[in-house]
Amino acid sequence: MTRFGWLKSWEFMLLVALVVELAVLGMINPAFLNVQNLLFSTSDFVHVIIAAVGLTLIIMTGGIDISGVSLMGLASIILGLSFVAGAPIWLAVAVALGVGLLAGAFNGTVVANTDVNPLVITLALLFFYSGLATGLPTLLDMLGFKAYNAGGFEAYQYEGINGLPKSFTWFGTGRLGWVPMPLVVTIVLTLIAGWLLKHTRFGRFLQLIGVNPEAARYTGVPVKRTLITVYAINGFAAAVAGLVLTAYFTSARSDLGSEALLNIITAVVLGGSSIYGGEGSVLGTFLAGLVLGFLRQGLLSLGITSDVVPVIVGGLLIGTVAARIGMSALQRKRANRAAYETERGAMAAIGE
Amino acid sequence: MSRILKSREFLVLLLLVVMILAVSNVNSAVLRPMTLINIVNSSLFLMLIAMGQMFVILTRGIDVSVGAIAGLSAVIFGFALNAGIPLPVAMLAALLTGMAGGMVNAIGVVFVGIPPIIMTLGTLGVFRGLMRVLTGGSWIESIPHNIKSLSVTRIFNIPMMVWGVSALVIIVAILMWKIRWTRNFYAVGDNLDGAYLLGINTRKTRFVAYVLAGLFSGMAAIVFVGQIGFVPMQTGDGQELKAIAAVVLGGVSLMGGTGTVWSAVIGALFLTTVDSMMIFLRIPGSWNDAVAGAVLLIVVVLDYLIRRMARNRLLAARSSEMLHGEDGTKAQTLEQTEQRQ
Repeated sequence: MTRFGWLKSWEFMLLVALVVELAVLGMINPAFLNVQNLLFSTSDFVHVIIAAVGLTLIIMTGGIDISGVSLMGLASIILGLSFVAGAPIWLAVAVALGVGLLAGAFNGTVVANTDVNPLVITLALLFFYSGLATGLPTLLDMLGFKAYNAGGFEAYQYEGINGLPKSFTWFGTGRLGWVPMPLVVTIVLTLIAGWLLKHTRFGRFLQLIGVNPEAARYTGVPVKRTLITVYAINGFAAAVAGLVLTAYFTSARSDLGSEALLNIITAVVLGGSSIYGGEGSVLGTFLAGLVLGFLRQGLLSLGITSDVVPVIVGGLLIGTVAARIGMSALQRKRANRAAYETERGAMAAIGE
Repeated sequence: MSRILKSREFLVLLLLVVMILAVSNVNSAVLRPMTLINIVNSSLFLMLIAMGQMFVILTRGIDVSVGAIAGLSAVIFGFALNAGIPLPVAMLAALLTGMAGGMVNAIGVVFVGIPPIIMTLGTLGVFRGLMRVLTGGSWIESIPHNIKSLSVTRIFNIPMMVWGVSALVIIVAILMWKIRWTRNFYAVGDNLDGAYLLGINTRKTRFVAYVLAGLFSGMAAIVFVGQIGFVPMQTGDGQELKAIAAVVLGGVSLMGGTGTVWSAVIGALFLTTVDSMMIFLRIPGSWNDAVAGAVLLIVVVLDYLIRRMARNRLLAARSSEMLHGEDGTKAQTLEQTEQRQ
């Protein structure tokens, strides 16, 4: 790569897109460019970025895990139930994160030990975890536990669990200097995931598995262990996303995040990861998540109804992939052309 | 005959019967004909979109937009009926909407080369958004009552809709069996390059699969509106994942090339029956998804274990044959076993 090669990188293009987007939205609606508002509006969508960062690592291996959206709700409701059961809040958080980690590890174990398509496995688990999240409160009722409110635990399913302590909701509503806590959590996780992917052997393994799992196995990559670990990390990230959302809404609900699947996958793909594996960037996912999120906020601030937003997000997803396919086709054509010219030059030289 | 007995469809059908009988031990109301008819009746929507999904998955694709297409078709159907357009024309409009939606997917996947899951996930957002934009986010109500006559009219106590969909299933099964061209779906899904080299028009085959998925979603929309008589905003929400779960449960492989119409039918029946059985067991409905997910996971993992066992047995047989064969025949035996495969 030459000195200015990074100017051509996908991440830089995303950064440019982000700046252009903010500038255009700001020109139409100057009120939108209030830095403080801009920073705080990220709290509405950073859960998508957190989950997408975890998914990026999995997509590197050529796999996929769509059950994360259910794990968000599961982590949230488990935190809430542990809390009303009388556990101190730090323990409740640890339990919720532990469940996310274990659930992810379970996904990874099934994926690594069977040849069943990861999409099928995680589809089944998407249903399973979301059913578990909605069912748990009623299970506690059936087991005869007493809830403090009138409707029993079942009521929590509709009302959510409120009254979480300030020390926890601070992670959703507080801030560090100018930066809101959800964004801080997101940045920290992005940095860790980016470091894992770029600077550790584990990250290399992920890429190798994505390029060619057979070759990875023959070169001594511990494929199963790596897969289980990466799915566990994704489960953990989904649980963090669920808890951040819980803290932000100051209410634990079993259906948190269930709408996020389209946005999460769009962020990963827009961020430059190939769905076929072997290619991906955590920074790209983070930036793409910001582009998507601010796009949504900007459109809403322009008075466009939220109904149109999925149309634009969906169009963007298809457009990006189509553009990348077009670009790579063009590159291939150019490379072929160059190869042909050199060949012809060489032939001419021999002819003389 | 033994092929049918060994098939995944049969295994799931057997599970279905066992489940119903087991629940009837607890609550005998399950076995009343009315209950069973109602289960079939409420599975029609899922069955239709699952059948469409099957064509796409046969070609090694996937379509997560079928629920959204059904929603959009339902909206168009509702608008058409409210505008006083005669029922057959309104039905045609719904079907055409479905086919148009499928065609959008097909163009992106087949001609642009976008991975199916990305393309259809994108159109899932687009179609669902369009549906809300068209209706302004409100339900379409006051649909003329004659539409409900389709589902209320019963012949031999069985709703018209059930007869209609059953006839459709049988027609599709016969067409898949009799028309040679439909083998192309399997060929393309099993080995795209191989199918191409055989002279199969792979683009046309995949294109048709997505359009069929759209068409069946359109039919599902008609059934849905006919059954409930209005169009809520949630029409088809989350059904795309249920449809995939149904066909996979019934034995369609996401790797393409395996599965039949019966996979979709039995898978859809199974998932709907699970939901109903929960009611008879007095388990709260909030557990439905957990049970459906667990069943799907267990079935696909069991299927993998059975396949692995069969393969290992084959390998063991081959190796013992090689070890016990005489030196001169060793090479020949290996060749034979390979041919036998």
